[in-house]
Amino acid sequence: MHRRQFILAGLAIAGTAALGVPLWHYSVSAQPENRALVFSAILPALLYGALPADGAAAAAALQRTEQALHDFIPYLPKRQQQELDQLINALAHRVSRLAITGYWVSVKELTINARLQMLQRWRESYLVVLQQAYHGLRELLYGAFYGQPEHWQNLNYTAPRFR
Amino acid sequence: MSASNHIDASTLQDDQHFSADIVIVGTGAGGGIAAEQFAKAGFNVLLLEEGAWYQREHFVMEERWAYPQLYQEGAARKTRDQSISILQGRTVGGSTTVNWTTSIRTPEPTLAYWQSEFGLNFSAEYNLTPFFALAEQRLHIQAWSVPPNPNNAKLQQGCEALGWEYSVINRNVNGCANLGYCGMGCPINAKQSMLVSTIPEAMRLGATLISRISVRRILWRQDKVIGLVAVPVDQYFQPRADIQLTISAKHYILAAGAIGSPALLLRSNVPNPSGRLGKHTYLHPTVISGAIFAEQINGHHGAPQSIYSDQFVWPKAHEEIGYKLEVPPIHPVLMATKLVGMAEQHANLMQQFNQLQVTIALLRDGFHPESQGGTVHLDAAGQPVLDYPLTAYLWAGVRRALLSMAELQFAAGALQVMPINHQAQAYRSWSEAKAAIAELPLAPLQQTVVSAHVMGGCNMAASADKGIVDSEGRHFQLENLSIFDGSVLPTSLGANPQLTIFGLVWRNCQRLIAQLSP
Repeated sequence: MHRRQFILAGLAIAGTAALGVPLWHYSVSAQPENRALVFSAILPALLYGALPADGAAAAAALQRTEQALHDFIPYLPKRQQQELDQLINALAHRVSRLAITGYWVSVKELTINARLQMLQRWRESYLVVLQQAYHGLRELLYGAFYGQPEHWQNLNYTAPRFR
Repeated sequence: MSASNHIDASTLQDDQHFSADIVIVGTGAGGGIAAEQFAKAGFNVLLLEEGAWYQREHFVMEERWAYPQLYQEGAARKTRDQSISILQGRTVGGSTTVNWTTSIRTPEPTLAYWQSEFGLNFSAEYNLTPFFALAEQRLHIQAWSVPPNPNNAKLQQGCEALGWEYSVINRNVNGCANLGYCGMGCPINAKQSMLVSTIPEAMRLGATLISRISVRRILWRQDKVIGLVAVPVDQYFQPRADIQLTISAKHYILAAGAIGSPALLLRSNVPNPSGRLGKHTYLHPTVISGAIFAEQINGHHGAPQSIYSDQFVWPKAHEEIGYKLEVPPIHPVLMATKLVGMAEQHANLMQQFNQLQVTIALLRDGFHPESQGGTVHLDAAGQPVLDYPLTAYLWAGVRRALLSMAELQFAAGALQVMPINHQAQAYRSWSEAKAAIAELPLAPLQQTVVSAHVMGGCNMAASADKGIVDSEGRHFQLENLSIFDGSVLPTSLGANPQLTIFGLVWRNCQRLIAQLSP
């Protein structure tokens, strides 16, 4: 199997296996390194076309978005925070397991297309939990990105100011 | 505003007890009206609010601040299966602080339905009309005389082109600068929400406000409430466990909204002989249609809602669900989270942000055996979760609503119309859209459904076997408990709810004051 195809297959399995097995297997507590791993894998794909072309500016936008996520998540009900972290921990666990096999050195090696395909498969999955993961992460991540005034340039929008 | 009669519960260091003649849980449309009525009648009033006491100087017109600070669950509240997003205020003034100011009297057919199905009387001294008039006067509710912004104008133009009914909206504003940021808190105090009207007046008359307090339990014995147990919330509005606050009063008014009030009663295991507590919760399930126009729409600017259409709200075929057509304000987070697709597709849509017109259809739920609403449950932490099943009857209405909106948007000159459904495309003509929407898969999560109106769960009825409270909002089993909020509505309304709640609560306050006065 070609390496890229293997990774694609692996991702599909990661999504399904991580979430198809009972989620209670995974911790509900926040693990910062897992959040960082999952957000840094998904954000560049979801925001493809919205991020600045300049590498440094794109990195700054991603950094800002991750910070906005960390700032926002504590306002969600505890139940939802736990569900979110369980999902993130499950995904991160699969990522590190695959990494041990040597085929998956870093999630960042995946092409944007591969990551989008993974999200697309979740959206179309027969598993409700994967559909929820797709819609939940999508809303959370887009909200965090487009909440920042620095990211409104493409929109030709500025909020009025009074004070 | 003097802060001498305001207590921020999150600053309290020790357990404490408070007492008053009247304690009101919640400061939204119901609690706000009640606070002023009882303070004016000379009662010692204590107002409890889970949110913070933010005021105009805090309102920065940015969603990233407004949603976590002013809305329930950071404006990310969802039904149990995550298929419906719910916008609901959680701040002093409740949803009136963040709503879009639309003020509509309860439609006559809704009142007639309540009369026939729930035995409720709206004649003679129970007539709501004088109380709507009082609320309209108090809150400066008038027809919006400024021309609609382009987002609303397209709704009007589409109706005109098709010969559909439309109306100019009455708004509760005074000195409105047509900014368009009502949903983030009015920065110039033009919106006559409870925050700037009844609550400051009640406080001037001696009422005390405790903010950042979450009431966890109603203590009751036999047929009486004997106290409340509450806790402060932390900086993220999560209930804390380190301090306990207790409250006692002669009469208790519950006004925590249609999710909060049933949740508190469920946590308190109050008598529920009708079995209806926390059930029959209605949402006006709302679907969205986006359209791209050649010209600038700039839907973030101007009064967010100034035109509505009732063309389809009371269909002749009574077996079909009706829906009301309105528009929402268009802001970056609201749009980015709702527009479908990912990556370039999503980025391209966002780039057309200023040419985007958005129409919404609010389904009038609760008037049919297959539309019996949702159920409030409690999670492990005792926090509410609404389970709201989307039935085939509702989906049929969703499809008709998507069709009506696409037809309207093309009639108004749209270049493209995009039903907000994850399987839909952008369509370039009404005939293309019509054929595609007819075949569109409608299922939870695939079809985006939202709500900004939460109603029911503690419905009023003439008799205890059909409701939680009587026609005056008095609890059937606990004699010193009243419920004065949208939770008492026996169905949805077919209209935005704030004026219904203002008028109904005003009337019920007058009757309760007469009963409680020596």
